[in-house]
Amino acid sequence: MEDIEIIERVKKVISDVLGVDKDKIKLEDRFVEDLGAESVQSLELVAAFEEEFDIEMDEEKALEVKTVGKAVEFIKEYLAKK
Amino acid sequence: MKILIYEDSKWINLTPLSYIKPIFELRCGFSSLLEKIVSVLPEGEIILWVRDYLKGLTIKKYNHKVNDEEFLNDDVLIINGRWLIERELSFNLNEEKLYLSKGDIVYGVIKKENLRKYWNGNIDEFLKNISGNLKSEETDFILINYPWDLIHYNSKIIKFEFQKSNKKGILGKFSEKATIYGSENDVYVAKSAEIYPFVVLDTSEGPVYIDEGVKIFPFSVIIGPCYIGEKTQIMSGAKIREGNSIGPVCRIGGEVEESIFHSYSNKYHDGFIGHSYIGEFVNLGALTTNSDLKNDYSNVSVYLNGKLTETGQLKVGSFIGDHTKTSIGTLFNTGTVVGIMCNITANNILPKYFPSFVWFVNGKFMKGYGIDYSLQTAKISMERRNRILLKEEEDAIRKVYELTESERKSYIEKSRKIAR
Repeated sequence: MEDIEIIERVKKVISDVLGVDKDKIKLEDRFVEDLGAESVQSLELVAAFEEEFDIEMDEEKALEVKTVGKAVEFIKEYLAKK
Repeated sequence: MKILIYEDSKWINLTPLSYIKPIFELRCGFSSLLEKIVSVLPEGEIILWVRDYLKGLTIKKYNHKVNDEEFLNDDVLIINGRWLIERELSFNLNEEKLYLSKGDIVYGVIKKENLRKYWNGNIDEFLKNISGNLKSEETDFILINYPWDLIHYNSKIIKFEFQKSNKKGILGKFSEKATIYGSENDVYVAKSAEIYPFVVLDTSEGPVYIDEGVKIFPFSVIIGPCYIGEKTQIMSGAKIREGNSIGPVCRIGGEVEESIFHSYSNKYHDGFIGHSYIGEFVNLGALTTNSDLKNDYSNVSVYLNGKLTETGQLKVGSFIGDHTKTSIGTLFNTGTVVGIMCNITANNILPKYFPSFVWFVNGKFMKGYGIDYSLQTAKISMERRNRILLKEEEDAIRKVYELTESERKSYIEKSRKIAR
């Protein structure tokens, strides 16, 4: 999967879960401070990423991911292992 | 003579309450099943037998040998750990015989030679072997088969144990503005307990036993039969209705009816809990409420061990495993089972079953932050009450995490499919 597709799909998931405009999401955005994610929404994001990319992420490592760009990198690692 | 108190394979029917404790540790009335059993035993060395993954933890918790085959060296009195002692009794130790409840062994005396003949290291095979070969007699003794049995018998046991305790009277602080409604002979307030003004202890239907270090804050009503365990606090305005066993070390507010709070659990705020068993270190958020009666007055069914099980009872509440937490405003359906270490957030109509370790957020089952995070939270909440999470306890929790993994994944997967 191309990087550009992963980024677009990650942004789409974030937009759906957090209710923010997809076009305004930037890679450097922080989930909590910039995108307004509540603590339980981080769980929903993990679940939604797993669903979108058909991967199973390590919960604790996933929750260390703080920005959109890091999430893209994190998901790419799992996709590379598939 | 040796005394072997064991848990059989039916521990699974008492999950999630029994996941990280032996079945004989479950409470009813004033104390655990084991404490009741020990109180009626004849002289003899006690040996406990539990499932393998609880062996280390049980050794740490009890001053008895655990899963030790030393009992083979003597005649033995075997006792089912699910036995609910509800009467004075004496054992006939001279005759080799098994005493049964609906086919399950309650207790029995077995001679050394037969022990060696039928023992192969597996408790359930041993029980099966002796059941088929030794003399036996059906009795009306009570074995706890399901979690709701503990609730069903709680009032009866409180009355029995109050009488057995031979304690009555007010030894502690009792405000002159507090009231006993009913017989004063049916009240015991321990020396270090404190009853604040405008508290009503109602003994018209049964006794009220207030143990050491308890505080009952103003405008609370405690209706007997009721047992309030050591160092528990009953918050202002609480309605502790009949048939409750609370504590030790709980903080309870709101309305509670015919329920057991195992220990170290909080239901600090308003909300109703009825016909329920709440495990250890559970925190029920403000307004958490459970239904215990169906609107069509039909018997309640409960998910047990993966299957919907008919309880045969009209009133059944919730069974909540150790270290589970609920959010404010959580409303549990009639006959709900919640596993250990769950986090439940309020939603419209909640499911009747929550596998252990799940998070339920926005109507969906999720895997949460992982086992290490859950253990860290448990350590924090235990340290707040001067308890430590034992290494053996952590090992048992990790084992239950493994045992429940496929069930948990299945619920999470189903939840995602529904959301698609």
